[in-house]
Amino acid sequence: MDTAERELFTAALRQAAASPAFEQGLEDMGWADALADDRRTAVATLFEIQGDHDVTSTALDTVIATALGLDKLGLDGRIVLPAVGGHAAPGTVDGNRLCVRGVCRGTPAGDVIAVTAAGYQVLQDVRMRPIAGMAPSLDLVEVSADVALDIAGPADWSAGVAAAHLALAHELVGTSRAMLRLAREHALEREQFGRPIASFQAVRHRLAEALIAVEAAQAAADAAWLAPGTEILAKAVAGRSARIVARHAQQVLAGMGFTTEHPFHRYLRRALLLDGLFGSSRTLARDVATEVLRTKRLPQPIPL
Amino acid sequence: MELDTFRRELDAWLDEQDFAHSVTATGNTGLDAHMAQLSKVKRHTYDAGWMRWGWPERVGGLGGSTLLRGYLGEALTSRDLVEPGIYSMTEVLAPTMIDYARPELAAEMVPRLLRGDETWCQGFSEPGTGSNLAALTCRAVRDDDGWRVTGQKVWTSLAQYAQRCVLLTRTGDAGHGGITALFVDMDAPGITVRPIETMHGQPEFCEVFFDDVDVPIERMLGDEGQGWSVAMDLLPFERSTSLWHRGAFLQQRLQRLVEVSPSVPTDELGDVIVQLFALRACSRATQYRMAAGERLGPETSVDKVLLATTEQAVFDLVADSLDVLTGDDVDTERWRSDFLYSRAATIYGGSAEIQRNVLARRVLQLGPEA
Repeated sequence: MDTAERELFTAALRQAAASPAFEQGLEDMGWADALADDRRTAVATLFEIQGDHDVTSTALDTVIATALGLDKLGLDGRIVLPAVGGHAAPGTVDGNRLCVRGVCRGTPAGDVIAVTAAGYQVLQDVRMRPIAGMAPSLDLVEVSADVALDIAGPADWSAGVAAAHLALAHELVGTSRAMLRLAREHALEREQFGRPIASFQAVRHRLAEALIAVEAAQAAADAAWLAPGTEILAKAVAGRSARIVARHAQQVLAGMGFTTEHPFHRYLRRALLLDGLFGSSRTLARDVATEVLRTKRLPQPIPL
Repeated sequence: MELDTFRRELDAWLDEQDFAHSVTATGNTGLDAHMAQLSKVKRHTYDAGWMRWGWPERVGGLGGSTLLRGYLGEALTSRDLVEPGIYSMTEVLAPTMIDYARPELAAEMVPRLLRGDETWCQGFSEPGTGSNLAALTCRAVRDDDGWRVTGQKVWTSLAQYAQRCVLLTRTGDAGHGGITALFVDMDAPGITVRPIETMHGQPEFCEVFFDDVDVPIERMLGDEGQGWSVAMDLLPFERSTSLWHRGAFLQQRLQRLVEVSPSVPTDELGDVIVQLFALRACSRATQYRMAAGERLGPETSVDKVLLATTEQAVFDLVADSLDVLTGDDVDTERWRSDFLYSRAATIYGGSAEIQRNVLARRVLQLGPEA
């Protein structure tokens, strides 16, 4: 997409995100076609808007299915995501049985597809339990199954993980930007001692710190598109930044942000949950470091 | 010259050069040795053309994108051929000359800096002006054929090696409008340089005293009273190519650490790798904005804060992983020096607090401070 097309695309996505029928809106505007045409723009724009507007969709499934090559098989189904906190394939094989423990975003209506180290399988007989948990707005459902092994074809889970890390990194960037915006607006409006609290250096430095974290996460997510293998780092930066932004924004919003009358709480909940999906910043960083200590090689730096 | 071609050909060339071995391989980590190495590397790379890419032809360059300069410094730093702090003076001061010196002066002087024939220094800070640069008092008064300078500068990097100095002087009223930038010969009568001993053991900072020093009128950079613009336009260059080089340096030192230390703590290493990735991602985006001709501004304070934070995190990890407390061999001396130098990362080049003030005021637009 060129600049003008990107602007139109972004405006259409924002409009869809503002309407109650977001999923339908995505279909109407042809987001899946955009994904095939310009993966980077389609993913970065949609997920940042999802994070910013605090809305959710099944787009993550589409992104993962595309990375796994499942989209070409004409499968119309939902992908089981790993249980919150990790990124191992949600399906494990035990003899001739397949055991699945994971989550979906939204209750699946059609087929449910689980990926294992051995390949993918369309699940029959899936148990589902809606998760309210930390972030009800993400509409998570716990999915479990214990069924006969019947692998339908190959699927490279690591490609799906990399694609999910990138998408979630962008979603966290959107969430972080929204938290910073709420805190900034509050600091400019709220007056104490006869002046806006935005005039106090302690408040200003917290907001500057949040800005630095947001820009770091944005740059990391953007750069990871250029250096395959670094998606895990982009997700780790985004999760780390979101926690930094949440901490400073919450302190600046103070009592106001602690009430449910203010939207901040939804973003905080979302940030914490998105950090956990496909591995939190802490566990991802540990995974990377463990590999570095084993091989004595740092990850390849981003090329100029 | 395209970046990919430049990268490939430069790498191949560096692989074959005799001079291309690390300065620490000589066992001498003193500043004199680093400076000698820097001159040698600059001369070789200039004569072979590499150092001239990315600079305009009117100052002896070969043209091309500033990304080429970014990669040259990355390649030299990654191979541990130059110390990035002293190499960065070129990236900071040459653009200032190109933008503000008379064209003949820039054409005469810039090649000397690029080729390593000369060292230049930057006379900005004073004993009374740290963060509040605009309060500087080093005075220049007009006489018959130029300016006469009297005053003091401090934290002037490499002044004891320098042939020239980009100097900010007070020529008018207090405030931003009364400042003029001059290009001063360091062998002019009346200049005294005193290196400052610092905790990291490399006397790279100096005090410089000016006692009735004559500076010819044609050595003005920009117009009278334009010195603040010179300073403001220079600062982003400290955060563009030179910051990219420093990121490459941190990568190189961290890589070395995981090779030599058997006891790097896993969680802390992970956090440092994540921070370094973010720093380099941010810095990369800045390189591309500069290469596209965009004017760099207050948003580069983000890069500076990330650099300072990451540099300290890298060397905190070093201190947790190596015996920097009691080790006395050459390698440990260097780790210790790097560690101690990193303590200043949140102080020099605009303190961490000033960077946050800049971001709050000019990027977040939070209005005036109480």
